[in-house]
Amino acid sequence: MLILPSSWTTAYGGPEGRARLEALLLAVAGGDREALAALYQSTRGAVYGLALSLLRSREEAQDVTQDAFVRIWEKAPQYRPQGSPMAWMLAVVRNLALMRLRERGRFQPLAEEEWDAIPARAPGVTPEDRALLQTALGRLGDRERQVILLHAVSGLKHREIAALLELPLATVLSQYRRGLKKLKRAMEGEQPL
Amino acid sequence: MTYQELEQQLAQALERTAPDSAEQVLARCEKQEERVIPMTEQKTKPKSLRGLIAACLALVLAGGAGGVYYQQTFAVTSVVSLDVNPSIELKANRNERVVSCTPLNAEAAVVLFSMDGGDDLKGAKLDVAVNAIVGALVREGYLDSLSSAILISVEDGDASRAARLQEELVASVDGVLRSQAPGAAVLSQVLDASAAQGARTGGSSVSSGKASLVRKVMEMNGTAGDEAVFDQLALLSVEELNDLLETGAQQIPIGRPAACRIAEEYAGTLELDSAAADADPELDEFPAHYDVELKTAWGEFDYKIDAWTGAVLSGQRDILSLASASGTQTPAPQVPDTQTPDAQRPGTQTPAAQPQSPAAPPAGTNPPAASEVTESAAKTAVLEHAGLSESQVSWTKVERDFDDGQWEYELEFWCGDTEYDYTVRCSDGCILKHEHETHYHSGGSGSAGTDVGAEAAKAAALSHAGLSESQTTQMKVKQDWDGGLLEYEVEFKSGGMEYEYTISGATGAVLEYKSEWDD
Repeated sequence: MLILPSSWTTAYGGPEGRARLEALLLAVAGGDREALAALYQSTRGAVYGLALSLLRSREEAQDVTQDAFVRIWEKAPQYRPQGSPMAWMLAVVRNLALMRLRERGRFQPLAEEEWDAIPARAPGVTPEDRALLQTALGRLGDRERQVILLHAVSGLKHREIAALLELPLATVLSQYRRGLKKLKRAMEGEQPL
Repeated sequence: MTYQELEQQLAQALERTAPDSAEQVLARCEKQEERVIPMTEQKTKPKSLRGLIAACLALVLAGGAGGVYYQQTFAVTSVVSLDVNPSIELKANRNERVVSCTPLNAEAAVVLFSMDGGDDLKGAKLDVAVNAIVGALVREGYLDSLSSAILISVEDGDASRAARLQEELVASVDGVLRSQAPGAAVLSQVLDASAAQGARTGGSSVSSGKASLVRKVMEMNGTAGDEAVFDQLALLSVEELNDLLETGAQQIPIGRPAACRIAEEYAGTLELDSAAADADPELDEFPAHYDVELKTAWGEFDYKIDAWTGAVLSGQRDILSLASASGTQTPAPQVPDTQTPDAQRPGTQTPAAQPQSPAAPPAGTNPPAASEVTESAAKTAVLEHAGLSESQVSWTKVERDFDDGQWEYELEFWCGDTEYDYTVRCSDGCILKHEHETHYHSGGSGSAGTDVGAEAAKAAALSHAGLSESQTTQMKVKQDWDGGLLEYEVEFKSGGMEYEYTISGATGAVLEYKSEWDD
């Protein structure tokens, strides 16, 4: 059951992941379309996750994910190495998602069962995946969801999340702990050990 | 299920769910915006840094010829301290030239070694000297982690000059770090003479700038006036102190040297001259910990050490025995220091020298091997670790499970209001992970530090919601002590709405809140 923290990381977490993303992003800046494809494949989960957590709509999150990679392609020549390429990419995603929200106007919070994050027939998606995502998306508060997805899926450090979401670090830590507890309680309730 | 497992499952679920529309993206990507050549700044900056140092040294030489001028302008008007973990104090005259440069601790002496202990900087312009020191700090690896921080403190009787110096030095240092250490933060402060004197303790070698930062942490965690705590905190780096302030943590971390020593003790390399450890504080992570990198003749090993308790959260135990058991020749005590870092990485080692690689999963066999520790021994080990006896606890889980390439015991028990969770490696009884959480009841006393109390927390939540208690129903106030932070979770209903608040136990501030229609 145990996964040692040192043995687990996302594809973009840790120095090696960051260096790899940095290299891909610089290659994209040089007009390398294969690098863009590789960047897309290795980060689409994180990009989609943030877009989904902000927009709460699968279709809109898909649109923003596509738009984000197009924007990243266009803007990559202006990217300067500043520590975290993932944070730079996710700032692009967040801006696009917030623009989309502004265009949409006020949105009504969706109930847990109304979330449509998971396609009806998605290959490789297990019932456990569905249960976990449904819980993560439906039962957590907005901030809790964003912080946990950014940490778990994007590999951002809490400090980077605080900068991205423009929140105090203490708040990010508090949201993270509380959200994880909620998620764990919910999952253990649904999947007794 | 651990939090790490939960996060990993969530990440994998989302990866599988995320749409794959690479072709559509590529079809839309044509023209890029104006191109700049990346990395140029990073490549050129080291040269400019060298130039700065050369200019600095040139100024020193030039200054040497002008001794009379120094005699006339020897009076100190400004004191600038630079604190990372090395602490360096620069005194400057009214012409903003360095009168003295003093290393305040052993690490600072190392940084200034190539500058004749700081004497080379005498006579240099203050900003040039500061940049030369920052360059040396970068080269020595003090500012290369993502959350590194340097504190620049300016003391000057002339407030306007102090403010200008602060602004200029911060801009200058920020410019250097932007390319050399982009993750590092630049903190700054202006201290008046009385504040500086008050912050510093008599005879202390801590700079007044760092002392002031320590005092802020002590005010935050309710230990103001306790000089023993001051001495403990003064040993921490600026990064650690800043993390404590930002996270509001009430506890005092063990510090990097202790984390290194604990990792080396655990690894069994404490007596080896050839092993070297370096610790990176991650106090802003959960759980707060130190990442310790241990370089040995067999390669690099990573350890995570709990920042508050010093417990080993992860890492390979007893490297020597493992290498010996797997037939690896025990290294000579003195290993030449000529290997490149790559030559020491696990990927370039012999298979026997990779003790962290997981064992192959067993082929459907479950019974414990004769060499394994017994379940009873595992229970005894964790009770001893927790400082408890069998009669004090109630076991809720004792299981043997194959995970992460090895057999492990998962042990959970309660003692009073505290829940304990342990993972023990079957092969040698090593405690791989342990957590405990105290579930305080309302009115519990929590731990040391400021506690605004349940009533104040409730009042803060009601005030934020614009309600009086008589307007609410189902009021619940729960104290939670977790990760070093005392919090109150306040929940109530009013007017068809359900409110949830998290209130800081230390300050009474609203950390988060949520309101939704009560269904």
